[in-house]
Amino acid sequence: MLATLEQSQQTLNTALEQVSTGLSVNQPSDNPTAAASMVENTIETGDVDEYTQNVTTSLATVSQANSTLSSVVTALTSAQSAGIEGANGTNTTANMQALATQVQGILNNVIADANTSVGGVYLFGGTSTSTPYTADPSSPTGYTYNGNNETNTVAVGDQTSVAVNLPGSQVFSNSSNNVIGSLSSLVSALQSGNSSAVETATTAVGAAINFIGQQQVFYSNADSQLSSQETFLQQDTVTLTTQASNLIGVNQSAAATELSEAETDNSAALAAIAKVMPNSLLNYLSTPT
Amino acid sequence: MGGLNTALMIGVSALDVTQGALDATSNNIANVNTPGYTREEAQISELGESDSDGEVTGGGVSLDGLQSIRDELLNMQINQQTSLQSAANSESASLDQVQSYFTTTGADIASEFSAFSSSLVELSGNATSSSAQEGVIAAGQNLAAAFNSTANGLTGVQTQADQQVPDTVSQINTLTAQIAQLNGQLAQVPASEDGGTTQDQLDQDVAQLAGLTNIQVTQTNDGETITTGSGTPLVVGTQSYNLSSSTGANGTQQVEDSNGNNITSSITGGTLGGSLNIANTVIPGYLTQLNTLASQFATAFNSAQAAGTDSNGNAGAAFFSGTATLANAAADINVSLTSPSQLAVNSTTSSSGNNVANLSAALTTTLPSGETAPGAYASLVFNVGTAASNANTQSTAIGDNLTQLTTLQGSVSAVSIDEETANLMRYQTAYEAASRIVSTVQVLDNAALNMGSSTAF
Repeated sequence: MLATLEQSQQTLNTALEQVSTGLSVNQPSDNPTAAASMVENTIETGDVDEYTQNVTTSLATVSQANSTLSSVVTALTSAQSAGIEGANGTNTTANMQALATQVQGILNNVIADANTSVGGVYLFGGTSTSTPYTADPSSPTGYTYNGNNETNTVAVGDQTSVAVNLPGSQVFSNSSNNVIGSLSSLVSALQSGNSSAVETATTAVGAAINFIGQQQVFYSNADSQLSSQETFLQQDTVTLTTQASNLIGVNQSAAATELSEAETDNSAALAAIAKVMPNSLLNYLSTPT
Repeated sequence: MGGLNTALMIGVSALDVTQGALDATSNNIANVNTPGYTREEAQISELGESDSDGEVTGGGVSLDGLQSIRDELLNMQINQQTSLQSAANSESASLDQVQSYFTTTGADIASEFSAFSSSLVELSGNATSSSAQEGVIAAGQNLAAAFNSTANGLTGVQTQADQQVPDTVSQINTLTAQIAQLNGQLAQVPASEDGGTTQDQLDQDVAQLAGLTNIQVTQTNDGETITTGSGTPLVVGTQSYNLSSSTGANGTQQVEDSNGNNITSSITGGTLGGSLNIANTVIPGYLTQLNTLASQFATAFNSAQAAGTDSNGNAGAAFFSGTATLANAAADINVSLTSPSQLAVNSTTSSSGNNVANLSAALTTTLPSGETAPGAYASLVFNVGTAASNANTQSTAIGDNLTQLTTLQGSVSAVSIDEETANLMRYQTAYEAASRIVSTVQVLDNAALNMGSSTAF
């Protein structure tokens, strides 16, 4: 009788635990296979959360870099107009100097853009933590690149990683198309007052505008790649959550039914035992006279 | 031919016998809750008839003694099942403790593997950030701590099981000494008679012994012979043989017979068998799996570290240490890097990307064990879960079986208040009737004595 009672009590406890925790597997012995599968699921879920965060951060970085490059293009376009004005041969020395100052200002702005950082990380410094461009009188362009040539690659999936930046050495001081060099040449040409030199330098600035435009394609591609990965990760999260709930979750309505069944069983067992226990022949005998 | 005296003698014998039967019944009722008590029945037989000149007269009734009602075969089955039950119970209790270390709590190895993996994913987006590097080191330390506490937890359960061995052995020795003594007492009882309470006491001791170790009981002329394991004598007649325990070569307890022979492997039942199995086989198996995982994972991650250079430009130093001794790998594993800048985030070779992908790969590549690190851990969880679930199932199944046998034994040997109450009334009526015989004979005697006396009429 006591064994029956104990068993019914245990069933009740299990049902109660499942309903209160919302889990059908509360310890490995409840379902060894599910418990083992959950190890992978837990790790994968953690990773996917982190991948999603990486994607969000990278998207911000990429769009920031893209808009920075757009502002560089704007700056270069105004430098180009200044160059065209300086090359028409009708300018006084004072005018040329004024234009040189204007372009120098533009150059400073472009350097500031090239040194943009997001969350302490330089957008155009490769993987280096040093300020990408610093003034250097000994350099022909007046600036030295302190970053490296590497790209930051961010893991956004188990087998997927996306390059999220281009180093400054490729964007701003590329040996074949040096953006900073073209601006500083224009400044020197304007300062020297040589119209033909100004014209050559202006052409170089025009080429730089095109070149930056080409670099922006990289960021647009990265942006679309990240966006599609974001969608994929959202699906993955749903899949993993579903898998987890299939493995160790509890069907609430079934569990609740089970609980109330166990309750009924338990009280029935208690009632039955209470009825049987005190009964013996003695209850029905009259006391001896 | 019988006279009135014969009738009187028959009445008195009936009174004696009924008195004895009432004694048995009241003793049964008195012992209704006594553990191990076996109900007694009065053995009643008719006395020989006497034949005088062709007239046959009944001789009355006699009480041959009180017989305890027991079923030796049933007792033996119960003892066997008790051994199995105790072993399964003790294993199940230990395994329940063991599996608590493998349950997802947020600080278990699976959760820490997950956190470590996530910290590396975070680092991949921001390899140079010292806070991301710090995150990896911290997650690594937590992972190592989870390994440490799991290994220590397992060792703790093992020690606990191990410590039960000497205690259990001394309980066994106490019981066998008692049984040998009871065997001696029973030898004094003539074979035709029942051992009664002494036998009850002996059965009770044997049942207790069965809960401690696997035993074989044989009935001999000298009483019960009890052996354990593969024939190691515990009790032969009035002689008991003590077991002893000592620390074996592997640091856990082993059991020896009275001649000092190691009989550990033949002890499979009872609390002793359960404890020995947990301490010598089950937990060492899990520890080996855990140590192998800790050691191989540390090696894989350290070589990923070595493939890169740290933020100071130095070659990546070992991230994990303490796994040199395989037997203590999980208990001793720790993070040896002291500064986030020592994390080998930079690649030595290519200009593309960094070394973080290599570090992450340590979690997804196949280790020498043939599984990935999380996979190997998942297998361990599966093994522990299956073992715990099997032990529980086995314990329940044997428990059901044992309940059935005990119920059966109860129906044979236990005291039923209903039955005893009925007996009480039966014997009461019989006693009253026998008394009536005596008083009737007395009246008749008086009548006979007064025959012919004037006062009689």
